[in-house]
Amino acid sequence: MIRDRPGVLPSGSGPRRGGQIVASIRGEPRSFNRLVARDLATETLTMLTQGRLVRINRATFELEPWLAETWESSADGRVHTLHLRPGVTWSDGAPFTADDVLFTLQAAYDPKVESVLAETLLAGGQRIRASAPDPQTVVLTFAAPSGPGLRLLDGLPILPKHKLGAALANGTFGMAWTSATPPAEMVGTGPFVVREYQPGQRVLLERNPRYWREGADGDPLPYLDRIVLEIVPEQNAELLRLQSGMTDLSNSELRPEDYVPVRRAEEQGTLRLIELGVGPDADGFWFCLKPEIKGKDPRFAFVSRPEFRQAISHAVDREMFAETVFLGAAVPVWGPITPGNDQWFWPDVPRYFHDDAKAAALLAGIGLEDRNKNGVVEDANGTEARFTVITQQGVGWYERGTMVLREELARVGIALDIAPLEFGAMIQRMLACDYDAIYFRPVATDLDPAGNMDFWLSSGSAHLWNMSQKVPGSDWERRIDTLMLEQSASIDAERRRQQFTLVQQIFAENLPVLYFAAPRMYFAHSARLQGVVPSVQRPPVLWNADSLSVSQ
Amino acid sequence: MKKAGFGLLIFVTLAALGAPWLAPNAPDRSFPDRLYAPPGGYAYEQRLVNRLERQFEDDVSQPVSLQWFTDGRLVTVPEADGGPLLLLGADAFGRDTFSRLLYGARASLALALVATVIALLLGALIGGAAGFAGGLVDEVLSRFTDFVLVLPAIYVALALRAVMPLVLPPATVFALLTLIFALVGWPIVARGMRAIIASEREREYVAAGLALGATRWRLLSRHLLPAATGYLAVQATLLLPAFILAEATLSYVGLGFPDSVPTWGTMLQDAANMSLVAEAPWMLAPAAAIFLVVLGVNLVVQRDPDVHTSLF
Amino acid sequence: MLNFVARRIAFAVLLVVVVSSASLRLARLAPGDVTAQLGPFASATEIAGTRARFDLDRSPLGQWGVWLSRAVRFEFGDSFLYNRPVRGLVVSAAGNTAVLAVAALVAATVVGIPLGVISGSRRGLLAGAIRGVSLVFLSIPPLLTSLFLVFLAAVTRWFPAGGMTSVNASSLDWPAWLLDVATHLPLPALALALPIAATFERLQAQSMSETLRQPFALAAVARGLSPRDVILRHAWRVSVRPICGIYGLAIGALLSGSFVVEFVTAWPGLGRLMYEALRARDVYLVAGCAAMGGLFLAAGSVIGDLLLAAADPRVRKAA
Repeated sequence: MIRDRPGVLPSGSGPRRGGQIVASIRGEPRSFNRLVARDLATETLTMLTQGRLVRINRATFELEPWLAETWESSADGRVHTLHLRPGVTWSDGAPFTADDVLFTLQAAYDPKVESVLAETLLAGGQRIRASAPDPQTVVLTFAAPSGPGLRLLDGLPILPKHKLGAALANGTFGMAWTSATPPAEMVGTGPFVVREYQPGQRVLLERNPRYWREGADGDPLPYLDRIVLEIVPEQNAELLRLQSGMTDLSNSELRPEDYVPVRRAEEQGTLRLIELGVGPDADGFWFCLKPEIKGKDPRFAFVSRPEFRQAISHAVDREMFAETVFLGAAVPVWGPITPGNDQWFWPDVPRYFHDDAKAAALLAGIGLEDRNKNGVVEDANGTEARFTVITQQGVGWYERGTMVLREELARVGIALDIAPLEFGAMIQRMLACDYDAIYFRPVATDLDPAGNMDFWLSSGSAHLWNMSQKVPGSDWERRIDTLMLEQSASIDAERRRQQFTLVQQIFAENLPVLYFAAPRMYFAHSARLQGVVPSVQRPPVLWNADSLSVSQ
Repeated sequence: MKKAGFGLLIFVTLAALGAPWLAPNAPDRSFPDRLYAPPGGYAYEQRLVNRLERQFEDDVSQPVSLQWFTDGRLVTVPEADGGPLLLLGADAFGRDTFSRLLYGARASLALALVATVIALLLGALIGGAAGFAGGLVDEVLSRFTDFVLVLPAIYVALALRAVMPLVLPPATVFALLTLIFALVGWPIVARGMRAIIASEREREYVAAGLALGATRWRLLSRHLLPAATGYLAVQATLLLPAFILAEATLSYVGLGFPDSVPTWGTMLQDAANMSLVAEAPWMLAPAAAIFLVVLGVNLVVQRDPDVHTSLF
Repeated sequence: MLNFVARRIAFAVLLVVVVSSASLRLARLAPGDVTAQLGPFASATEIAGTRARFDLDRSPLGQWGVWLSRAVRFEFGDSFLYNRPVRGLVVSAAGNTAVLAVAALVAATVVGIPLGVISGSRRGLLAGAIRGVSLVFLSIPPLLTSLFLVFLAAVTRWFPAGGMTSVNASSLDWPAWLLDVATHLPLPALALALPIAATFERLQAQSMSETLRQPFALAAVARGLSPRDVILRHAWRVSVRPICGIYGLAIGALLSGSFVVEFVTAWPGLGRLMYEALRARDVYLVAGCAAMGGLFLAAGSVIGDLLLAAADPRVRKAA
């Protein structure tokens, strides 16, 4: 097996020019306009066809110049002057200018557009102000200093004003650039352009001859002439196509159970198997802790105690959990930040070692003991520690995870009933706090904690256990709020790290969400595909499409 | 042939009833070191070599001895003595496929059987009434049948599920599934039933019978229904497997049995990974079991063709 | 006859309205709504905006009214998933499904009915084998049949492992395009046809063996007609009646699309569209698909009745 380290290009002779690859995607793009859709297919297409001002390299996580060639930032981190790369044109030949940048920001903030990106483009809770002193320069002013700084702009594709300006003006921007739009209208500054969309079947992309980027050898990029995105909705069928060489890569990682067949194919020389590393997200297990809703529930008295959650953390054998739930392709974790997030992972986060006696002692400490000897602990009023845990139906590791949890917790007298729900039903209950406990993996939007404020802040919409609080419900949540607001507004990297370490410490003491294991991720592609620089973030390979090539 | 069919059905019924005694392991017991394990544990202790690659080997230094008639089971191997005994391997959760197959017969067969009977009764009744009465009654009943057929059943199930408590006891699940299957199944039966009765009704003997003063009920029960029994018998062999399999679909929308109650339909869903099945064909065991049941039913209900008229 | 057609058309319209309205209502009853697709943690304004766009902020009755007032103008609202009007989506998907359905129906009929005639009119090994194979296909879930065929296609490369056209399809002239679709057709058509062929075979076999016991068949043999003539000329026509009832059903079901087969073989048809819409609670797309399905089923029902009338002159007279 090849264990490519991220960021290191595989050695070999220079990339071959020309050829096409076929990649499979599971779902259809909702739109070709990233400002109004956030599904993986739309995001992938946007990476292939559009450019950004700056790019976060998905392998090294460094900020790279992209459409902006250079920039200067003021000492207080609030004013950024970006110099656009000269000579860049849209795929239809129109020049790319600062006007397009201003237009894109304007569209993203337009209330009529209801852009999915609007909230990700806030610095200190305020919109970014932009001006263009000349066609090659953009000045961005943040209302407050921002920790991520220009990294905020990685997710924002710059769209062509000369094609979309009219739609924004007459209020049809949200419906512009759909599957019904003629491909020639959808120009971009990315390595490829959409040539044809066959609904339900595939998207054909062709090399953009006006793409600005050059390879290491000075050759114009991209190397490939064509990329075909085949829509293959069913995951098993997708794997079969990959194995038979009908597709070169899939746009998603492998399931742990697919490891064996792919490994076989690698031995036969048809596929290459890559270990992407530990994923940046771990499965979480949490209780709804919203007092307005759960306050009257007699179990709330003990569920709301950190000792109760600490007892659970002690009761679970994480090594065994990783082995069983992910077939061994996982590492134990004790917090939301996994070793897959190199920059922010804190290896010394407080750990709860597997110790049933300790767990029982903690439970006894808050008055939970098995008084009637039925195997389930009760409090003094006779309220049993019995919960229904909901999870998403049909996902192997969710179902395995809840089953292992049920067995682990049964040993210390906490009873779980499992209710696998279909996705829509589960999300509805999660948002309405209509559940006891959930086992699920909410994917963080960003590796930088400042990009996930909706999770950390008590007022956030992704503050899983108690969403959208008006005032912090507890002292420790208040402390996390303060620390996170400070660190997200700080431009001192070291200080940000220290503060976030403190946040992780407070989180680990109170355990509003319990984490047990983060999966190792695997990816497979055809042996003829060259230049793959895999990333643990989605899309794992196509983020780097301009440098991909084929050997035959 | 009929005897063979009865034999088969009795065999399956006994296996289902005797599951607690015949199964070497509890159906919901998962063995964390046996995820996707192949059949084994009857001669030597199985040992996990590589979890991700699903490699197991027989530890020849640890022969196991099968323990007959212990612990209330026909044969078993306790974990302490080198178990578990996995006659058909283990599933994605490390549970014994063979034991689940035996237990699965209970829920799957009972459910499919009850639902089939209800669907046949309803279908025969409504289709028969439509075909026999004709005219406006026929029109109303037939169009009502059409309407039920087009309703998106999955949505009905989802809406139904939403008003139910999160955790349903198996008995409630059983009742709900029976209801839904019967509801979905009867229009199919009714369609063919109507066609048969409608053409039988037009036959000379019916007209003659009516002219001679025979009651409608007598005609229906003595002449028309017997004409349809063969059709109903075949419908039974079609609906039975369909219902066993459909249980898996409803389980997907949350209307399934809890994981402690195995069913053949959900067991088969694990077999969707083809490359896995190629290496582990025993995952298809539930399909084989369904086949045996359907074959048994078919042999029992199907009358062999008369030898006087043969095509060749 | 004219009366019959007029009545059935009126009913078809009624069926379409009732069924699509019912699915609209059911979509509101099912837990969660389309905003779950925005991700678990979409902002409040985004959720409110989406709700308003799909009239989810109105009462179910109000939404129904809005939808109905648009539907009479043949506008069926927008799809959330595809960000475009439902009408075009449903029509093109229905076209694709129709191609598949016709192929599958022809295959199932051509295979199932003759085999049923054989196994219903003789004993012995061949009849037993036919019966056995039918039962096998009835015992395997469609998901596995489809996946197995994809697997077979991927390994042998006898035909494409999914999709409806090749990459270069749009540059082909229409005969070449038809050929291209035809090479993609066997896989999904077979996956659909196998269980239906098995159903037809079983029904035909039973019906045939029943018919051959009737006095008229025995009398015909006694008169000295060859069994072959009796079966093909007289008995078959009588025995096919119950199948006509089911045939209409099969047409309707096939035309509404099988989501499993279309999903696995990546065929861009109505079943897959409906499934995706259901899963995403894409209300208007669900209603649109249901309307189309209702239309097809009504059509199938009419065809079934016409076939029955053709097979049985007495029923024709009565109707």
